[in-house]
Amino acid sequence: MNRREMLGGLVGGGVAWLGGALTELPLLVFAEGEAPPADVLVVVFQRGGVDGLSLVAPYGEGRAYYDPRPSTALPEPGRGRGALHDLDGFFGLHPRLEGLMGPFQAGHLAVVHATGSPDPSRSHFDAMESLERGTPGSKRTPTGWVARHLESTPWTNPSPFRAVGMGSFVQSALRGPVPAMSLRSIAEFHLVGREEQLGALQRTLAGLYGGGVNGGDAELSRLLAAGAGETLRTVTAVSKLAAEAYTPAHGAQYPDSPFGWSLREVAQLIKADVGLEVACVDAGGWDTHESQGGAEGWLAELIGDFGAGLGAFYTDLQDEMARVVVVSMSEFGRRVQENASGGTDHGRGNAMLLLGGGVRGGVYARWPGLYPDALDEGDLAVTTDYRDVLGEVLLKRLGNRSLGRVFPGYTPSLGEILEVRRA
Amino acid sequence: MSGVQQGPGQNTWSRRALLQRGGAAALGAALLPRFGWSAAATSPPQDAVSPAAHLLRRTGWGLREGDLEALTQLGVEGYLEQQLNPATLPDPQVDAFLGRNEVLLGDERALHAAAERDYGGLLELARWARLYRAAYSTRGLFERTVEVWTDHFNVPIPDLLAQKIVDDREVVRAHAFGRFGDLLLASAQSPAMLLYLNNASSDKEYPNENYARELLELHTLGVDGGYTERDVKETARALTGWTLHEGFPGRFYFDAARHDTDEKVVLGRTLAAGRGIEDGLEVLDLLAHHPATARRVALKLARAFVSDDPPEALLSDLAGVFGRTGGDLRAVLRALFASSAFWASAGLKFRRPLEHLVASLRALAPALTVHRAGRPHLIWALEGLGQAPYSWFPPDGYPQTGEAWLSTGGLLGRWNLALTLAHAGEGWLEGVELDLGALLPGAATVGDWVERAARRLTGAPLADADHALLVRFVSRGDDPQAPLNPEQRAETAAGLVGLLLASPQFAWA
Repeated sequence: MNRREMLGGLVGGGVAWLGGALTELPLLVFAEGEAPPADVLVVVFQRGGVDGLSLVAPYGEGRAYYDPRPSTALPEPGRGRGALHDLDGFFGLHPRLEGLMGPFQAGHLAVVHATGSPDPSRSHFDAMESLERGTPGSKRTPTGWVARHLESTPWTNPSPFRAVGMGSFVQSALRGPVPAMSLRSIAEFHLVGREEQLGALQRTLAGLYGGGVNGGDAELSRLLAAGAGETLRTVTAVSKLAAEAYTPAHGAQYPDSPFGWSLREVAQLIKADVGLEVACVDAGGWDTHESQGGAEGWLAELIGDFGAGLGAFYTDLQDEMARVVVVSMSEFGRRVQENASGGTDHGRGNAMLLLGGGVRGGVYARWPGLYPDALDEGDLAVTTDYRDVLGEVLLKRLGNRSLGRVFPGYTPSLGEILEVRRA
Repeated sequence: MSGVQQGPGQNTWSRRALLQRGGAAALGAALLPRFGWSAAATSPPQDAVSPAAHLLRRTGWGLREGDLEALTQLGVEGYLEQQLNPATLPDPQVDAFLGRNEVLLGDERALHAAAERDYGGLLELARWARLYRAAYSTRGLFERTVEVWTDHFNVPIPDLLAQKIVDDREVVRAHAFGRFGDLLLASAQSPAMLLYLNNASSDKEYPNENYARELLELHTLGVDGGYTERDVKETARALTGWTLHEGFPGRFYFDAARHDTDEKVVLGRTLAAGRGIEDGLEVLDLLAHHPATARRVALKLARAFVSDDPPEALLSDLAGVFGRTGGDLRAVLRALFASSAFWASAGLKFRRPLEHLVASLRALAPALTVHRAGRPHLIWALEGLGQAPYSWFPPDGYPQTGEAWLSTGGLLGRWNLALTLAHAGEGWLEGVELDLGALLPGAATVGDWVERAARRLTGAPLADADHALLVRFVSRGDDPQAPLNPEQRAETAAGLVGLLLASPQFAWA
């Protein structure tokens, strides 16, 4: 399936249009040039508050790291099985992230540590919304940062796949005037019904919505008819994607988990060239308040799945990674001191990962240290606003200069984590 | 949008007019030009938007079998008075539900303890209770009004579970049919609101303006209501010390030590120095009776019950009633349902996801049963559609206008929910059962069967073109007179039900 031009004037005017197979898919329409001016952005949100100090452990802190974490600290690099993978002599990657060492050594993986938001909320719901809307501390912002990014790009893109939220509902980061598709799975993006009736159901619905004004309010019902037509067209387009068996390239093996499936679908969408610009993917379950474990255990399993998913994605998209950037984030980190149940409670500073061709690999941090006086009420302090990282991605890889619109009231200080994308 | 001419306050839909099919049809014909039916597209059915159905849809959550008949018995006035006096209207199913779930009636301590024991279970129950009451209460208008005020004084539930359950009971439900000033005061003193918008931590050293701002902008005057930044600050000062007793979860407590007792000026009113809780009480009273508040309340109610863009004449009428009655919310509603704008607005509201689901549950009742195991699936489906109860994060509440809900993902989700419910009889939805045979008894011909199904589910006949589409779906042919055979019935009943619930007819109310 490749890019074709979307036929203008395709409106849901009755049943007939469905008879002709819809092979055309929307073309990205740019203000200038032919080639896409932007990387595909994949935002991975680790829901629950991932323990960044385990994801990327500051083993170089010595006792300040190991003393407060009797059961959750990871062994120093070289200390046998379950040891950290050394990154730079101070930080180590969790043992179950071995799949990311290849990308790290290739210079395509960056870690930014001690990141977070100025909003000190340690409440999941509050903090997630706050981060995703991109205006920490304000509850009033109706749109998400990704939606505002898409709204402020210098190009337009009519593809229904422009922004995709993997999962059952659209992530708050995508909330806004630019339509975003929530995609639980490519295979499931269709009308539900008996297999043999799907075509008839779809045709009938198209007819019911396509028959002119369908409700009392003329303006709204025009919108509804258009929306219905758009939805049914997208269902048809996705069903063609679903029909093609997707084989990951280069022997990539995605884990058999919701996270793995989501990434696999994103990879499929990227390769199918359907106009995807941003995908939001959730990785859940990170709220390890008890029995967190260290090199083995609950968190280790989650990290294993996380790493395997990202590793497979990287392998699968090898040739395309130059135009893809993955960013991971979480609502907050976790406390330095373990609690009485062998777990950790909600904290502040956390680690963000970036993966992609444009990344300048390495570990970046204005590292405040783990000694008690350096901590923020017992938590790793936040020394880099997460919007600085996202802002750099948006500017250098996605070509969006309107950061003031994406993050109103905030001017990101940009680092050197990424190369500027060349057109 | 002034269609049929009626005097304000005059109720012309007598029982006789409703009983006479001719009467209803004549009314229907008079109202047709409002709906933009184009003759070329479909042939408009005569009484597709019967006044009775219109009234029932707007004052409740969708037609249930027997509702139309009940209304013709009571007459419009009798029905409205009953709905506006819910205490006089027995509500057996909801009473039984609350009896089985007494935790919802507990005080904040009991609820907090319950939340500690089983947070997920209580959250699910609170959300389910909202759905249940909408679907099964006889007091439909009260439940619709509760929804308006829930959105207006929005507090998201996930971080404030115990508090919001109390708030729902003692703020919203206690005053939804009362006086706006009482509702406003109850909200201002609600632990849920005090925590959500941070007034609980506001004091004279560091007044927190969050609540004061939303109070002026969202709850009362509105952004163009004529207040200044200064008014926001002064209001915040007036409300310092309005906090919680014994902290979280607590009850309202006025902490004089934290109150800023200096003189303040709010909206031109001077609040003398040296006072305590009176400062806040006076500001709230001033706001509750302000003409801009009257307009804003009129707009909120008109958007909920009439249309997304209500006519100016209606808004000023309703604001006038609000002003003359000191904010009597029932008086405003009475005026609204007597207005010509209301009666001209059939089919103009695009149903939001919650209403769409509840209307589906009502349309399928009593053939549909939802067991406990089915609850999370329905709540989860609503989450997917963006309207799980009490899950709106900013303080402005779920959007009232249709275009906010017209997204492509939302449409597929809505259609699939309709189709999934329709196939519940085949075990597609855990914990939900549907008896299709009881819902759609047989008919002699395909055309009759389709017609009856449409009337049963949407309360209205189908336009010819739509009827033809569904006949084709059932029989794969175009002859409505073709006999309906048992195989067709078995094969297509669920699909037919799903299509009707997913249809544009069901999307508008």
